Amino acid sequence: MTDPPRQLTLGQWDLRYRQLEQAGMTQPSYGGPLSRHLAEGDLRLARLRYDDSPAALRLWNFLLTEEDRLHEARSHGKKIVGTMKDLGTIPVMADAIDNVVAFYPDGAWWSPCVMENSTGLLEIADSMGIDESFCPVRAMIGAFVTGHHFPIPDLLTCSVGATCDDFSAIAQRLEDLGHPILWWEVPHRRHPDQGEASIQLPGGCLAPKTQVDLVRSELLRVKGAIEDLAGEPLDEPRLRSGIAKANRIRSCLAELRDLAYTARPCPMPALEMLIAEMLAIHFCSDREECLGVLEALLAEVKARVRAGVGLLDADAARVFWVNPVADLRVMNLLEACGARVCGTEYLFTHALDLISEDRAPMDALAATALADPMVGSADDRAMRIEREIRRFGAEAVVVSRIPGASHCVWEGWVIQDVLGDRCPVPVLEIEVPSVADAVTPELRTRLEAIVETVHQRRTR
Amino acid sequence: MRPSGRRAVGTDNVPMSYVVYTSPYVPAEWIAGHGLHPLRVMPSGASHAEALWNRQGVCPYVRAFLSEVKTCQEVAGVVITTVCDQMRRAFDVVARVSTLPGFLMNVPSTWQSLAARRLYLEELNRLGGFMVTLGGTPPSGPHLAEVMRGFDDARASLRGLQGQVPARAWAEAVEGFGRTGRVPAVERECGWWDEAHPTARPTASKVPLALVGGPLRREDLTIFDRVEECGGYVALDATETGQRGLCRAFDRRRLGEEPLLELADAYFDGIQDVSRRPNHGFYDDLIRNLKDRDVRAIILHRYLWCDLWHAEVERLKERTGLPVLDLDADGDQTADNGRRRTRIGAFLEMLR
Repeated sequence: MTDPPRQLTLGQWDLRYRQLEQAGMTQPSYGGPLSRHLAEGDLRLARLRYDDSPAALRLWNFLLTEEDRLHEARSHGKKIVGTMKDLGTIPVMADAIDNVVAFYPDGAWWSPCVMENSTGLLEIADSMGIDESFCPVRAMIGAFVTGHHFPIPDLLTCSVGATCDDFSAIAQRLEDLGHPILWWEVPHRRHPDQGEASIQLPGGCLAPKTQVDLVRSELLRVKGAIEDLAGEPLDEPRLRSGIAKANRIRSCLAELRDLAYTARPCPMPALEMLIAEMLAIHFCSDREECLGVLEALLAEVKARVRAGVGLLDADAARVFWVNPVADLRVMNLLEACGARVCGTEYLFTHALDLISEDRAPMDALAATALADPMVGSADDRAMRIEREIRRFGAEAVVVSRIPGASHCVWEGWVIQDVLGDRCPVPVLEIEVPSVADAVTPELRTRLEAIVETVHQRRTR
Repeated sequence: MRPSGRRAVGTDNVPMSYVVYTSPYVPAEWIAGHGLHPLRVMPSGASHAEALWNRQGVCPYVRAFLSEVKTCQEVAGVVITTVCDQMRRAFDVVARVSTLPGFLMNVPSTWQSLAARRLYLEELNRLGGFMVTLGGTPPSGPHLAEVMRGFDDARASLRGLQGQVPARAWAEAVEGFGRTGRVPAVERECGWWDEAHPTARPTASKVPLALVGGPLRREDLTIFDRVEECGGYVALDATETGQRGLCRAFDRRRLGEEPLLELADAYFDGIQDVSRRPNHGFYDDLIRNLKDRDVRAIILHRYLWCDLWHAEVERLKERTGLPVLDLDADGDQTADNGRRRTRIGAFLEMLR
């Protein structure tokens, strides 16, 4: 690394790609210039700004070739498990068997953004009565109907109970369309009553032992279904090995987050960090390569930190971001407004926290599933956010509402209320649609306002 | 939110403690068995002045319920269930804005596993613990059985009224039962049907409809009037505040032997909701009832931002094969009333 890092347009990346190629850059099998994805319909790519490192290139190519990987897995006779809603637990189990690969159909919620509403997925959902009052995850139903985005899974699982109504309702519609679903229950996580046996969950929350036991019994049903599908036992050694491999990925991500969200100047932009965090949910359908991608990104960040180089203004406002954005471009927008991301809570912190390797595997996985921030109260989320704000030194919070999502109705207010005097940072609540171009001026104004507020508070 | 009408008193003439709830999965008998007064509210959306309730995306029913809870007096506690996500998350808000003791009851979405059934039973036991913190006393088996018999008799009586009184009157009777635990006997003796609602008597020229959906607010009861004014009648009230929200009749022999288990089964199995996963039990029940009542069309009443019912509109058409009017309410009562009148009128014109 000789030049300071910078953010590039797609066109600039093509030029840089040629230079790197001539300089001998090696690429994985799915590598290539980013602009080829634009030609395949990923129109939003033309509007984004990217980190200029080969590690970031690999990250993007890994993300954007997942569907190819799934089709290839099917052609090689692998069984495909669609793990809806659980965000980080069932994939650890499924990927512990060699001839099974897990993926996250809910990920289709980004298709309208990435393909700038050109896929017709939302129109299909509309035609089935799942209109824009639902979360953009409704695109998933269109993906199942067309069969053009991912192979139809051999097994579909979906966690329900303490989940958002949007998703539960959409998944029910999916089953009605002829896609059988193995539903498994996750209760609302409560605090243990006085004297009640409890278990510490990853992330620090306590849950009653009875709830962990319940989730374990539900996961055992899922385990049985995966075993039936694979024709192989998902025994304890396999589960332990799967958990250990998942933890390597989580450890790598933890280190990456620590550096990216604390180092000055910012060593990796928010957009690439969002993608990196997302990989933890289901490893983007290739666990081994996922680790390689993240290790390369971590190496790049370490090198930048050592060299004292980075992107964005050194005094950029330090923002803690809550919820994933439906439009990826908004992460660029935040940085263009003079801020950087210093801490995130993208609704899947349980996919980032280490899974216990001391407990029996199914107990450990049950504890992980129950640590899902969506399963507990908004207060629990807010308390974790508070801890992370302090840890990363964030100066403001942006709560990004997902249009139509039932969990978004109150959480911004609760988070603000909980933070209150305990952690007095300004909180901004915005709503980001799948393609936010029409509301970009308003979003820019509001993000600039919170950046100004941060700067004013520094001078007090 | 002191209940209207007669004020309940205990045996020592001390006012009983009301426990407020709205979900049909909360067994009134269990609260009453603990010596407290179950108060299933039908909130009114008319008074939601607080800006907090008007945040974008709040379901009008949840808003009405929160408003009611915030202003209630002489109430010992509130019970909210996880049946819908908006209500589950509203509990976070209640806990922050109200001093009322609250209890969030996990009601499983799945039903096919032993674990789900066990969870519901465990939650009833926890609810019992909550009642004790409110001053209640755990019921003995015979006492619980006695309380259950009383409620079961009242529900049987309520069911007997179906078809004997106009649909709105029946809905009000169910509401009264939820509020007092008794079927309003006075109205039964009046001969409501002929005297108070002479136009409501079903005749061959009137179109039998089903009203399907989640819970109604007080002001939503005017839907029954609109239907009758437009030449129809509600032959099946399959809303959550209607027939669909009543648990099945108790097995009297089992009731004497293991009352709590019978209570849990009667509620958990006997109330079919669209939130169940999968929810074919809801459709099985509904289709059977539609046939029994010779229903010709369905009005689906749902609230804006209620995803659970919104997602069922197309399925309802497909599964029942009947015409469906998708009647959404956004909480603006004046606008809702005007739109309802027009849309119900047009729907019935089409059917006649």
